[in-house]
Amino acid sequence: MRLEVGNIFIKDVQFGKKTEVKSGVLYVNKDELCKVAGEDERVKSVEVFLARPGESVRIIPVKDVVEPRVKVEGPGGILPGFMTGVEQVGSGRTHVLKGAAVVTTGKIVGFQEGIIDMKGTGAEYTPFSRTNNVVVKVEPIDSLKQHEHEVVVRLAGFRAATYLGLAGKEATPDEVKTYETKPLFEQSMKYTHLPKVAYVYMLQTQGLLHNTYYYGVDVKEIVPTFMYPTEAFDGAIASGNCVSACDKNPTYVHQNSPVIEDLYAQHGKTINFLGCIITNENVTLMDKERSSNMTAKLVEFLGADAVIISEEGFGNPDADLVMNCNKIEKKGIRTVLITDEYAGQDGGSQSLADSTPLGDACVTAGNANQVVTLPKMDTVIGYPEVANVIAGGWNGSLQADGSIVTEIQVITGATNELGFHYLTAKTV
Amino acid sequence: MPVVHMCTIVPISMTVGANRIVPTVAIPYPLGNPNLTPADEKELRRKLVRKGLEALTTEIHGQTVFKD
Repeated sequence: MRLEVGNIFIKDVQFGKKTEVKSGVLYVNKDELCKVAGEDERVKSVEVFLARPGESVRIIPVKDVVEPRVKVEGPGGILPGFMTGVEQVGSGRTHVLKGAAVVTTGKIVGFQEGIIDMKGTGAEYTPFSRTNNVVVKVEPIDSLKQHEHEVVVRLAGFRAATYLGLAGKEATPDEVKTYETKPLFEQSMKYTHLPKVAYVYMLQTQGLLHNTYYYGVDVKEIVPTFMYPTEAFDGAIASGNCVSACDKNPTYVHQNSPVIEDLYAQHGKTINFLGCIITNENVTLMDKERSSNMTAKLVEFLGADAVIISEEGFGNPDADLVMNCNKIEKKGIRTVLITDEYAGQDGGSQSLADSTPLGDACVTAGNANQVVTLPKMDTVIGYPEVANVIAGGWNGSLQADGSIVTEIQVITGATNELGFHYLTAKTV
Repeated sequence: MPVVHMCTIVPISMTVGANRIVPTVAIPYPLGNPNLTPADEKELRRKLVRKGLEALTTEIHGQTVFKD
């Protein structure tokens, strides 16, 4: 499967009469976008705002971030199972408005959504302070239950991103990247001198605000399965989760999965990247046992020498991570784990809920309990008072002067376990 | 003082060193099950509590999981 990704660099976003890309600027017809995003009888109102890098703007509570993409050649469309049919994606050509993002907000669904600051301390922690954001604030009709509320906002974000993505259909990309994975036997024989590496892509699947979808299917309902890596770039994996927003993957992160990007970058050079196995993180022990057994089986079936395993979330998913690690290692296949830590505000506590001596190669994406002060912003899009209730904040997080004292857990993407963030460590 | 850890994800319970472990239903509802009728759910709760009491009063020699 071969996919060309044409990146159209977006350096600014502005409102305009027509939605189009001109000289690196994305112009957005606000009324049209509001209309498209609001095409759902369960939507009461839609407002659209712009938030650019460096502006004194806070977006709270953030539900999802989606990258505007459009399929220009080949079968299917972006976000299959939601915005298009369920044709196989991941081949042909896709155009991307690189540098633009749709951010969804609106009144809180649960108690666990994120914050994006475009300036100051918070901006250093979220990758989405560096994108030109089209913020879609969606309010549902009054009678809607929580689960439906989540669906309504998620789909409004997908519609908005799809609408903006169309502006890239006729544009000439500034760069074109090509990614290719052959059918397994062919791929295996291609670089016989290199170690064969697969990617175990764990997806959060624990209910409201904790769900992930593959071609529209709720991933908690699947058994682990194979995926061509390029499918992710076309939105085959879509997010319905933002709880403890620091380490949940917004749809944007799946569309840009840095693990897949990096594995492709080494493909044919230091490794032979065989493909992905997607698996879930469910809420019963039997599900966890079944999925980790199947994952280990599929890794063996692929004939991999080593795997990268990325976790999504923390706490009980640490048990899924450890089960995947143990069962794959016991087949003689080496593993590298990517996780983050909840080591307490002083960093002194046990970082993960579960552990294994076989997990001897582990990458951390940071300590989510680290406390920071987010300075007051001139503009707040959304509801600042939810800083007192979302996971990572506490009653009193929102200060009288508008600043927020909180754990970085509340910041969208701050400890992203696919590495889609800017935390680094250095030895001193 | 004996302690029973009633939890869903037994491996975590083992890792943190609990001695008496009673497996429960699911992470969002360890001692219930919204898929059951209220009467059946009440019986489920009673069964789990009885299992917990049994574990509490059972002599053990090392980490023990009290399965059905």
